[in-house]
Amino acid sequence: MDTVFHNLMLGFDVALTPVNIMWVFIGGLLGTVIGMLPGLGPATGVAVLIPVTYGMNPTTALITMCAVYYGAMFGGSRASIMINTPGDASAIVTCFDGYPMAKKGKAGEALAISAWASFVGGMAGMVFLIFLTAPVAAMALKFGPAEKFSLMLFALTATITLSEGSILKGFIAMGLGLMMATIGLDGQSGASRFVFVEDLQDGIDFLVIMIGFYAVTEVFKNFSDIDQQYSVDAKSIGSVSMSKEAWRRSFMPWLRGSPLGFLVGVLPGAGGTIATFLSYAVEKSASKKPEEFGHGAVEGLAGPESANNACSCGALVPLLTLGIPGSGTAAVMLGALMMLGVRPGPVLFEQHPEVAWGVIASMLVGNIVLLAINLPLAIPLVQLLKIPQRIMLPLVLGMGFMGTYFLNYSSFDFILVSVSALGGYMLGKLSIPIPPLVLALILGGMTEQSYRNALQISNGSISIFYEKPISLAFLIMAVISLVYALKRHGKIVKV
Amino acid sequence: MNKKWTLLSGLLASVVMVGSAGVAQAADWKPTKPIELIAPAGPGGGWDLLARSMQKALTEEKLVDQPVLVTNKPGGGGATGWNYLKSKSGQGEFLAMTSALILQNNLLGKSDLTFNSFYPVANLMTEWEVVAVKADAPWKDGKEFFEAMKKDPANMHIGVGPALGNNDHIQFLALSKLFGADPKAVKFVVYPNTAAEQIPALLGGHIKAITISLGETMEQVKAGKIRILGISSDKRIKELPNVATWKEQGVDFVYPHWRGVIAAPGLSPEQQKFWNDTIGKMVKTPTWKKAMQNLEWEEYYQDATAHAKFLADKNTQMKESLTAVGLIK
Repeated sequence: MDTVFHNLMLGFDVALTPVNIMWVFIGGLLGTVIGMLPGLGPATGVAVLIPVTYGMNPTTALITMCAVYYGAMFGGSRASIMINTPGDASAIVTCFDGYPMAKKGKAGEALAISAWASFVGGMAGMVFLIFLTAPVAAMALKFGPAEKFSLMLFALTATITLSEGSILKGFIAMGLGLMMATIGLDGQSGASRFVFVEDLQDGIDFLVIMIGFYAVTEVFKNFSDIDQQYSVDAKSIGSVSMSKEAWRRSFMPWLRGSPLGFLVGVLPGAGGTIATFLSYAVEKSASKKPEEFGHGAVEGLAGPESANNACSCGALVPLLTLGIPGSGTAAVMLGALMMLGVRPGPVLFEQHPEVAWGVIASMLVGNIVLLAINLPLAIPLVQLLKIPQRIMLPLVLGMGFMGTYFLNYSSFDFILVSVSALGGYMLGKLSIPIPPLVLALILGGMTEQSYRNALQISNGSISIFYEKPISLAFLIMAVISLVYALKRHGKIVKV
Repeated sequence: MNKKWTLLSGLLASVVMVGSAGVAQAADWKPTKPIELIAPAGPGGGWDLLARSMQKALTEEKLVDQPVLVTNKPGGGGATGWNYLKSKSGQGEFLAMTSALILQNNLLGKSDLTFNSFYPVANLMTEWEVVAVKADAPWKDGKEFFEAMKKDPANMHIGVGPALGNNDHIQFLALSKLFGADPKAVKFVVYPNTAAEQIPALLGGHIKAITISLGETMEQVKAGKIRILGISSDKRIKELPNVATWKEQGVDFVYPHWRGVIAAPGLSPEQQKFWNDTIGKMVKTPTWKKAMQNLEWEEYYQDATAHAKFLADKNTQMKESLTAVGLIK
């Protein structure tokens, strides 16, 4: 324990130099802005920074890149709340309750809730990272393909339980998502599946579909009442503080969301999307008023936001302990560090403690800096709501198409985004929920790979899924969540 | 996520394309607009790091007067980036990173493009292939491992990624054959996210061995968590003096995992000469040497003539080995 504090002091020595604090600020600001734009995520932000880091010492470089990384986590939810357009997949859940809050004129409060939840999640995640890295990393190794498959299955069924309305429609949405996920080259055999045009060879990028379903569909929906303003009065949108009630209702979701997010983040390849969806499901089932979810429940915003930021800390565990990137962003960071001659990995803490602990300390500082950036930033942001729809909607449309193009530089994606926007509009009319579809599209490929890897390892026996205790536990939880959904559904029918 | 790439260089690239009217045909050609280095993959991987090392060396050593940009064009196992380069026919400002994958894609029928669709400028670096097991595994060398494999192939799962038919996969098939095990009986588990999934799977005991390039295992080897059974280099490497080559273990197998650089087709002799000379100068600079050292890559320079011959030879060899294991029918 003493050594941890000793190391942490060493870290603060490194982190609190003026140069490093300056880069935390610049990186955090850049990350926040990049996170807000649809299609641009932390991986892009870090890649843009690579040439800037050439002249830096490796510690400053890593500190700057980490600042962009968690800056984007803060920023990703801004657009979800303001224009129902997630900046990244892990900000989808923020749309569920953040956007309804904004529509009710509580945009400022929603932004404050999400900023504070991100802060709490980030700080809790850092504390876990400092004290629990070794045991958690050992646990993550036990997590094989069978466990991974069962976790994904649980995440998918849990999402159905949280979708509005008929459970059958939830399954239809999930089925559509899973079907779309099979398009492209099969990772196991290299065979092409459902590739009718060459542009589909690499599959459908879920971010393109996400921009279509959320941003562009939102424009279609609002087109009918284009002259309508949000029903907000000028006074309330200016307030960016949280009410006493919001504080009280955020507390438990923080306590549940942060450890959940961290654990999911450590698991190889799971990531922020699962963490946020699971946290939302947990909050909805724990709530005494589940009917408020989807209409601006504080818990539905606070839980997933804290889970998302704790998850980004968890994703650093495999990078720092094994030298392997847990996410796309971590992969870019790893590459940039290697060019500077530093290899993160099991020996980093022994050979370069000042790098490892400097970064950890700077992330603690960075969380505070980002809270300080994001709370005042909400004031100009909420003014966006004063922009008339007939100006705002074309802007959203333009940003959506721009974000789409920057994903793959492929004009074919314009067709995909337009088709998915029309599809999203029709699904909305049929009250088929979008979230299970998007989650299934994101997780479909991974779920299938894990299933097949598990069967390869067990030489074809499905017993591997129920003989492994962790896997069995997730399967049982998946069944419970389905039973819960059926029960709830039954009630709806009676009413 | 890794499909995304830099907004900045994208904007600049579009500026470049606007200004691309008319390339001067002088006796002594020089780039007249910004130079674009194409990494046919997302940021962070081998091609991306190679392109960025070139960018650094060309700029900092002032070998070119024009700005140098790196653009990431992921997709199709490199094909997206190479198709883009092909569309720049006759323009000397575009270079792309390449590897054995350009031969494999063509041989396996995934792409029409191959090495002679372009002007091969140079080979630059290589990594070596290894087979690695957990540090507490009972096998000490290739012979012991493949003996165990002959006895019980059904329980000797081998991690490979991102797809079958790549260098890692071919190495293992070839070794099985040379050590007397049946290549068709090998149980491969494919990990599309490569080392990020393979190493935890190995350390967690889910698979018995991985076939992979050395660099991705180095940190684990240093930490004493992974043991390397053999390496595909022709002699032992400095960093790992205790790891025997396959050759020393009695099988004739030397297999570089190289990466090089190609230019657009249809270049004038002056344009070709410019890049052959410039890259020749670049690989001698301290900036380049330092970059290779930081990345723990071995320099493997071949000029345009030597590289063209190397590619033709490799293509023939690879066709033979892919046919032998049944991947080409």
